[in-house]
Amino acid sequence: MSRASDWRAPSAPTRLTDADVAAALDCLRSGWLTMGPRTQAFEQAIAERIGTPHALTVNGPTAALHLALLALGVGAGDEVVLPALAFVANAAAVRSVGAVPVLCDVVGVGDPRLDQADLERRIGPRTRAVIAVHADGRAVDAPALKALCDARGVALVEDCTEALGAEAEEGGWLPGTVGAAGIFSLSSPLIDVGEGGFLTTADDALAAQVRSLRSHAMTSGTWDRHRGHDPAYDVVGIGYNYRLDEARAALGASRFARLDEQIASLRALARACAERLEGTVAEPVWAWREPAAERWSPLALTVALPDREARDAFRAAVAANGVAAAVRPALHELTAFEELAPPGGLPAASEAAARHCLVALDERAPDALAAAAASLSAS
Amino acid sequence: MAGTGTHPDIPLFDLRITEDDLAAVEAALRSGRLGAGERVERLEQAFAEQLGVRHAVALSSCTAALHLAYLAAGAGPGDEVIVPAFTMAATANAVVYCGATPVFGEIVSRERPYLDPADVERLLTPRTKAVAVVHYAGYAAAVDELAELCAARGVALIEDAAHAPSATLAGRKLGSWGLASAFSFFSNKVLSAGEGGLLATDDDEVAALARSLRAEGISPSDGGYDVVRAGFDCQLDEPRAALLLSRMRRLEDDIARRRELTRRYRALLADVEGLIVPFEDADVEGSSAYVFPVFLADEGRQGEIARRLREQGIQTSILYAAVHRFSAYRERFPDVSLPLTELAAHTELTLPLFPHMTEQEQDRVVAVLREAVAG
Repeated sequence: MSRASDWRAPSAPTRLTDADVAAALDCLRSGWLTMGPRTQAFEQAIAERIGTPHALTVNGPTAALHLALLALGVGAGDEVVLPALAFVANAAAVRSVGAVPVLCDVVGVGDPRLDQADLERRIGPRTRAVIAVHADGRAVDAPALKALCDARGVALVEDCTEALGAEAEEGGWLPGTVGAAGIFSLSSPLIDVGEGGFLTTADDALAAQVRSLRSHAMTSGTWDRHRGHDPAYDVVGIGYNYRLDEARAALGASRFARLDEQIASLRALARACAERLEGTVAEPVWAWREPAAERWSPLALTVALPDREARDAFRAAVAANGVAAAVRPALHELTAFEELAPPGGLPAASEAAARHCLVALDERAPDALAAAAASLSAS
Repeated sequence: MAGTGTHPDIPLFDLRITEDDLAAVEAALRSGRLGAGERVERLEQAFAEQLGVRHAVALSSCTAALHLAYLAAGAGPGDEVIVPAFTMAATANAVVYCGATPVFGEIVSRERPYLDPADVERLLTPRTKAVAVVHYAGYAAAVDELAELCAARGVALIEDAAHAPSATLAGRKLGSWGLASAFSFFSNKVLSAGEGGLLATDDDEVAALARSLRAEGISPSDGGYDVVRAGFDCQLDEPRAALLLSRMRRLEDDIARRRELTRRYRALLADVEGLIVPFEDADVEGSSAYVFPVFLADEGRQGEIARRLREQGIQTSILYAAVHRFSAYRERFPDVSLPLTELAAHTELTLPLFPHMTEQEQDRVVAVLREAVAG
């Protein structure tokens, strides 16, 4: 059985500390599991760490994006521009509000982030929002995109699922603090609570809307009623059950407290992997020995191979060495989204999709990568 | 003494997690995998087996289960799904998610507060794709009659069995009568894990669709994947599956205790004038006895009596306000009129009920309620 989130980035086994386990079990022992005081405390910790007025937990990053789009009023007849290497959930969320995803290209095999010039060309009269992906642990130039979106009267949503803990290389801002909303995953190699995610925003009205829609647009919650609020409530919109529960919030808060340590360890693994690949045909897309790498926050190592055949052989070899490895299809290569390929295609995204391999940052990854690269040059 | 802002002395529900449950969750947390895996698979097998159906698909919520069930029934733009209005809003919301139109059906009566098959028959149109029936409070709705009616008219029957794990009608489990059924594992439910839900079905295609759509429609191939039909992200995870597997072992005992308390409530409240206790004594045996609803004979007293109970530290709830009267639905469907549902919604009170509730607690609830109803 596979988890959808695992296709965002392959992961090493999740190792929790005794404190993490105790936090989750203490919550269960309390008997109160519905979104309440632990969730509030976790949200506050997130908001402080990211430096955003509102952090709202939900049951996954897709739910966060869905609610962001709804709160921004994106609906039937609207278009939303997103990069072709975005995770499939992004395109699905756009469709689930009745809007049409419009794909833009990425920079290239050496930089799987969105191509700003191409994105600008794809913005048209029906465009209502842009989803910028901070891909592979590195921030895109969100302030520039924000200026561009503002000028065109379009909302900017930041997909930060691959960039929790990353920082801008210039300006010091954090992903999730620039656009109308940022969406994050709590089901990632960096922080895994089971199923979970959160949304950040500085917009009070948007936050209120998301808070309402994540729990059936009911005017009071189970926790409020338990504390003696009137049992009567209204339902003021068509909402969802996108709540996180208290046990996952407790686990998330415990893990969040050690986020820096976890980021440092993933970054060190990325650097160790990159070193072992030096001089081989397998080339990490980011230069992990650069000083700027201190501002990157990898979930997995993205490696470029000379062509699809070499990539497939490489991926199989890494996996054979016991380390999870995956390939990342471009959206227009998926049957459900084929029709989104624009005339002329999306050549950089297609090439990146054919040549990239995503490798889990497992302790065994450096050896597995070295072995895979050696097997490739031997054949 | 409980008042606004404090915890009630006798809560509506009171979830107790045992040491066995904690050990099961701890093992899952330490397993190295929190995303859906072998525990979710074992939960699905155990649930399908106890229900007597071929497939159980674990999900993030009962709402998600309803959404996928309606999609499996083919509901889309231009289609209609008949739902009761005496239910949680999610029963109808999930119809709207599909782009279809919820058509609200009337209940039989306050004594039988579930979807009236005769009204369903009147509401069926060529656009009806499904009928959703709610087993209110854990008691069987007229699912036998509805199953027959739906089969005759070529319409899917979907069971909202959020309240009714392991409940039966004529010896057959609720949730095994329709094309698909939706169960809830929300905190206050008979089988709870905080948040969670499950879709059950005997139909291989419905199960395959639900399994695909819950995980973004991803079908893995050669280290990558394809998506033929775009889906959603509504999976359950390993720690909650572990908790549910552990708690399932006590399910029948918990329900037996709920039934005992329910019978005792019924005996203690039988002579209270001005109070309608729904269902019959004989119905308790087949029910999951999820909650204990009562109806005040007179309108206009619901708020006052709930307040008097609250002042005495007793929490009550309203299951349910009529869905078609909520702002969100009045805006969209202003002309719906369901007098019996509205009367039920204006007069219902749900009393505290949980397996370890003591007789003393129950006596207190009864005494305070009796006094409040008497005025």
